[in-house]
Amino acid sequence: MDIRASEPGTALTLAQLRRSCDPAALGFRTTAELADLEDGLGQSRAGAAIEFGTGMRAQGYNLFAMGPEGSGRHTLVMRDLRARAASLEAPADWCYVFNFDTPHKPRALRLPAGKAAALKASLERLIEDLRAALPAAFESDEYRNRHRQIEAELAARQERAVGEIGERARAQGIALVHTPSGFGFGPLGKETVMAPEEFQALPDAEQKRYEELVARFQEELATVLQEMPRWRREALDRVRQLNREVAGTAIGSLMAELELEYRPLPPVHEHLKKLQQDLLDHAELFRATKDGEAPSVFGLPLPSPDADESPLRRYAVNLLIGHAAASGAPVVYEDHPNHDGLVGRIEHISRMGALVTDFTLIKAGALHRANGGYLVLDALKVLSEPYAWEALKRALRSREIHTQSLAQAVGWLSTISLEPEPIPLDVKVVLIGERRLYYLLHAYDPEFAELFKVIADFEDDVPRENGDLRHARVIAALARKEGLRPLDAAAVARVIDRQCREAGDTAKLSASMQSLADLLRESDYWARSAGREVIGAADVGSALEAQDRRRDRVRSRLLEDLVNGARLVDTAGARVGQVNGLAVLQLGDFTFGTPHRITARARLGGAGVVDIERESGLGGPLHSKGVLILAGFLSGRYAASRPLSLSATLVFEQSYGGVEGDSASSAELYALLSALSGAPLAQRFAVTGSVNQHGDIQPIGGVNEKIEGFFDLCRARGLDAAGDPPGVIIPAANMRNLMLREDVVEAVAQGRFAVHAVRTVDEGIALLTGLPAETVNARVEAKIAELAERARSFAGVGKKPWQPKPPARK
Amino acid sequence: MAAKAARAQVGVRRIVAALHWQRPAERSLLDIADLAREMQAELLALFIEDLDLLHLAALPFAAQIGAASATRHALDAAALEQLMRARAAELRSALEQASGGTLRWSFRIARGSPARLLAAAGAEDAPTLLLPAGADIAAAAHPIVLGELTEALLAPLLARRQPVLVRPGAAGGAARRATGR
Repeated sequence: MDIRASEPGTALTLAQLRRSCDPAALGFRTTAELADLEDGLGQSRAGAAIEFGTGMRAQGYNLFAMGPEGSGRHTLVMRDLRARAASLEAPADWCYVFNFDTPHKPRALRLPAGKAAALKASLERLIEDLRAALPAAFESDEYRNRHRQIEAELAARQERAVGEIGERARAQGIALVHTPSGFGFGPLGKETVMAPEEFQALPDAEQKRYEELVARFQEELATVLQEMPRWRREALDRVRQLNREVAGTAIGSLMAELELEYRPLPPVHEHLKKLQQDLLDHAELFRATKDGEAPSVFGLPLPSPDADESPLRRYAVNLLIGHAAASGAPVVYEDHPNHDGLVGRIEHISRMGALVTDFTLIKAGALHRANGGYLVLDALKVLSEPYAWEALKRALRSREIHTQSLAQAVGWLSTISLEPEPIPLDVKVVLIGERRLYYLLHAYDPEFAELFKVIADFEDDVPRENGDLRHARVIAALARKEGLRPLDAAAVARVIDRQCREAGDTAKLSASMQSLADLLRESDYWARSAGREVIGAADVGSALEAQDRRRDRVRSRLLEDLVNGARLVDTAGARVGQVNGLAVLQLGDFTFGTPHRITARARLGGAGVVDIERESGLGGPLHSKGVLILAGFLSGRYAASRPLSLSATLVFEQSYGGVEGDSASSAELYALLSALSGAPLAQRFAVTGSVNQHGDIQPIGGVNEKIEGFFDLCRARGLDAAGDPPGVIIPAANMRNLMLREDVVEAVAQGRFAVHAVRTVDEGIALLTGLPAETVNARVEAKIAELAERARSFAGVGKKPWQPKPPARK
Repeated sequence: MAAKAARAQVGVRRIVAALHWQRPAERSLLDIADLAREMQAELLALFIEDLDLLHLAALPFAAQIGAASATRHALDAAALEQLMRARAAELRSALEQASGGTLRWSFRIARGSPARLLAAAGAEDAPTLLLPAGADIAAAAHPIVLGELTEALLAPLLARRQPVLVRPGAAGGAARRATGR
């Protein structure tokens, strides 16, 4: 259909009011006949950017996919990423293991894809085997006898040392006595230590001799007792050596195969060697103990290697990330991208009232899971989570993942915790967000441009092409994906009409996949309710009507006020200085238009054009700008060579909220011209469009809603086929945006309503006044000249005429 | 089991548990009480206060060398007496609870030479089984005739925590009976 501007001042044709999709031209009966559209909904610019961004592996070439909500960014990004990832090799596996040299810095081991799980299983099996093999070795007769011998030798050495002193003491009449804390020496009587009275009866010299002897033996005993810890330590060393000997054979035979298998992986092989050494050092951990008893030697508890309940956890493998060998590169979407969710976290468990942790409690984050592939994040979510954005940037900048708690990262935690070895990072991050976020980040975060060099800019709308068949295939694919009934051609046409209306351009369709999916789902509901197997146009209509009905409470109330006269808007007759303007209101995702009365008064004065909205603080800057522009037009056209001695006021009547935008500036100008010329304006018209200083009418937004808003009022008051129909005057430049409701088009077809497109103020004023523009302009000019003359006459009373000053003499 | 059968054959009527402040005696005392109940013997728990230690503590230069610290500490006689009384009370309480009304028992605190005390508390007309705290009650008892019981003979047995079977009789012939000759 060829859209051409109508002749100035004439009503638009039906074809210009709505460009409906023709079901017959689609060429199918239901969407079940259509194949899916592989390359999606015409987002070629974004698609090319994604292809470039995902293919470019250099640092900083991360993507920011920006565009409006629901434009299919997630779907397109994930689809493209998955397609590319499938052709890539699966990245390496990563696991954390105990660091036998520095226990608080767990080591990160890299293994080929699919190998980490095997290593974990092998070490679990090793420990399980050792649990059986080592206790058996420690229960052997050889071990028991050698251990008992060491114990016996220690006991004998201790007893001998004390006993020798006791015997020497007894030989000198001194008894060695066991006391609650150790040993004491006292003078020996007949059978026992002397009673106090017996000792007192001894001569002083004898008493003194005994005291000296006792003191001497006490010293000797103290010397011997001081040696005992060393003897115990020596015995302990011998037991350890015995343990190593006994355990060495069992451990060595079980680990031989593992060592051979992992020899080609030096870091893993090195870990296994250290693990073997540690097993030898701590073989006693595997010894069977009685319930509730810790392993001990000579009643002394053996030192535990850490505070864990199970010291054998140190031999475990924390499989952080494992991939199947043929799985391709990962594509990860992180729905909750907080700090820990990105870089991983170190969990703690409560033990004896304290929080403890170890390397097995290190958990992977989204960066770990996506390492070697792609990570998709919602920009707003990342920015909303404390420190998540900083953590992401740090990881991308350093190309390493440092797993640490948030408290550590910001320096709130000073207690000792784990410092896991950083893992090298090779990931492509795709941020999805609104354009506003991209521009804000670009403006305020200097690192952003370095890290996100590729923009995938999603269109709000896409061009209509190929007779809408392409879009029909998108609808078909979406219905299938959502598990909905197929749509017949008429239903698809109805959906396309709606998408066109949302785009606000007859040559385009909305790219909002979210609203499209909602409409299809709701249409499916109505089809199911009606017992239909195929979604028809009526079902789509029901869904649209229901959507509007659910949301239009405010619109209904406003219309009610207009109809019952609470808000004054005339739709018939004519009046000087009064015109119907049109405003658009947006409440959530529902937009509608409503008429407003605009009035203008003019009188002699020097204030110029006064915008009452602005003076009262209700006018926004764009509205004020529009009024200033129309004042500029007025001065330029009618008072170019004389002062504008005018005080005119403009107001949106009964407007108690703010007024913004310049779409009413043409209406305001018409009201002012009417006030100046005295030519009444037909109230059957409503006007929208902005004006420039040359009197050209410029396009505005929401043209469909505005026309429908005035139509609803006129219909409520009764549309009559007789006489001049009511209508709306719009900018000619908005004709391409017209996608009016069918009932509006029908009323136009019946001659009950009209839409006029104008290019200039002159065209508009002619329509509104029914007079030639020249006549109105002449009247305005005359009025302004009259006002200027009168102003001059007021200013000239009692004053000399003005004369230039003579030049000053030198 | 063989030792127990042998004791039954001998006709032990009384068991004397020799308790000492120093030894971990509760568990042992409870085992001895079970044995006495099983053998239907009377149990005498004899808590022997260590005369050597008491004398030593009463001396003006009384001191002890700590076994773990190897340093010299004062030895307080009053504290020592208190410690012994407390240990005796603990053991008596444990035995009272373990008797359950089905055991004939008595508890005595004595001070002096263990041999003399045990001789006084031991058999006169029937064999008595002497069990030092911590003894293996299943082990074979060392037989001694009452008339031959001396401190020198008993001390090493007590030190080794060996059960001793004391038979009535004077020195000489009774010993031969005890050894089965």
